[in-house]
Amino acid sequence: MANLPLEIINLRKSYGPGMVEAVKGISFDVQPGEIFGLLGPNGAGKTTIISTLTTLEKPTSGQVKIFGVEVVKDPMFTKRQIGVVHQEVINSGFFSVEEILNFQSGYYGLRRNRERIHFLLHKLALFEHKEKKVKQLSGGMKRRLMIAKALVHNPKLLLLDEPTAGVDIGLREDLWKFVLELRAEGMSILLTTHYLEEAQELCGRVGIINYGSLVALGNTQQIIRQYTQKKVCLTLTQPFDVKSGYSFKNKDLDYEFLIPQNLPLGEFLDEVGIPLQLVRDVSIDEGDLAEAFLKLVNKAELQEVPS
Amino acid sequence: MTGFVTIFHREISRFSKVLVQTVVTPLISSFLYLLIFGVSLGEQMQDHRGVSYISFLIPGLMMMGLINNSFQNSSSSIVSSKFSGDLEDLRVAPVTDHEIIWAMSLGSLVRGTIVGVITYLVGAAFMVFQQGEWLPIVHPVATLFFVIVSGLTFGMLGISIAFWATTFDQLSAFSAFILLPLTYLGGVFLSIEHLHPFWQMISKANPLLYLINGLRYGVLGVSDVNPWTAAVISLLGFMVFYGLARWSLKRGSFQRW
Repeated sequence: MANLPLEIINLRKSYGPGMVEAVKGISFDVQPGEIFGLLGPNGAGKTTIISTLTTLEKPTSGQVKIFGVEVVKDPMFTKRQIGVVHQEVINSGFFSVEEILNFQSGYYGLRRNRERIHFLLHKLALFEHKEKKVKQLSGGMKRRLMIAKALVHNPKLLLLDEPTAGVDIGLREDLWKFVLELRAEGMSILLTTHYLEEAQELCGRVGIINYGSLVALGNTQQIIRQYTQKKVCLTLTQPFDVKSGYSFKNKDLDYEFLIPQNLPLGEFLDEVGIPLQLVRDVSIDEGDLAEAFLKLVNKAELQEVPS
Repeated sequence: MTGFVTIFHREISRFSKVLVQTVVTPLISSFLYLLIFGVSLGEQMQDHRGVSYISFLIPGLMMMGLINNSFQNSSSSIVSSKFSGDLEDLRVAPVTDHEIIWAMSLGSLVRGTIVGVITYLVGAAFMVFQQGEWLPIVHPVATLFFVIVSGLTFGMLGISIAFWATTFDQLSAFSAFILLPLTYLGGVFLSIEHLHPFWQMISKANPLLYLINGLRYGVLGVSDVNPWTAAVISLLGFMVFYGLARWSLKRGSFQRW
């Protein structure tokens, strides 16, 4: 079997004199050509995990492998394989956009990288701004510069640590398109984000972490199905005395039911006994990742609180 | 190797963008030092081992400028990178600690040497104006040796301190409370032979005395200490600070302020 772009096995990381565990034995992998979403509330341990991949932090125990090579054993190899978009915008006050990208290329051993740099500047709509200093760029341009920096050496694995934080919706969608293009070119991507719609849109698989532990891992759609309920809204032609085991809300002629995802609509209508001719309209909300996320995170929080 | 070349190039570009700090400031400060100490006070000073006070002063001022600027170049580069956040880029990129240390300390050496040369030229101009003769360099090889070793060593010290510093204050405290007194007490302005034997003994514990006198030997051929002793101590200092810089890169922080 070919080496996976990223494989994390039972990773633990403790900090400080009290050795507080920020990451508590996490395992997951990123498959070739996939966008994997690492999700979790603030302080869950996402950035700590990213930091162990980039060698900013050393794991307390466990293994982090990039294309089959352990980060702690051959960091020079693993660093060359990855591109990193940090959570915070980096300023680099002295230099212009093009100079920054030239230096970044040099760090990765590329002395002449003009073609790639100009390609990225065009692609990310920064070419006209290449002479500007970072502080002269808008928030969106700064974000795009961070992405260009991560891509100068054509990495095989891209780490996006909340790349769209504080970015307006129009630009966020442009960045999503760009990320999907990168995946289509064969790049594997690890994305951490607060925006669950972003993860739902982009990620084939997600891992949800809370308090340093993985609380869910798998196919995004399956997780949504597993941890959400289907919301069925019926508008009837006349009032009906509903006797249902499912939770429901009723306002005038509108009846809103929460039912299991795997229950077919016909069976549900039979169960609650509403005749089809009384139904004027039906709408179904399948549930989303945000709902699954909240359920998982709240459940974990309840387990975490000592009794 | 490309990583090393890139960081070195980046360092040179960085200080080239602040040319006033790099060139004009040392030009003015060495002019003022020479005017006040060399010309005004110097006329009341006796010649030391056959050299006039103003020529005695020039290598001291050269070394002072070299040390300060080498230290400041690497330390302020790292500290401003910590502030803007791009120091993390260096940690994440496949460059080795050796590449970072050598590139940054060579950058420091270049800046320190520019300042040292400017000080020398201003000093030589004063000599021509006051005494009607140019200041020749008596031992060019020794001069080059002490310039290179001092520039690299203080570049490395700047790296070490900057990686540990968590605020701008800590950095300026090191300059003000440690570096500046050691420089002033290391024989920039006067020969330790004029001190009480007790203070002479104390002065000999100051490593900067050896660098300053080493360069003075190179430029003028006179020194308060044996030039070989000065060379050995300078090389030892270089090795110690190289080790310290490596340790700082391993244990210090690349994280943003």
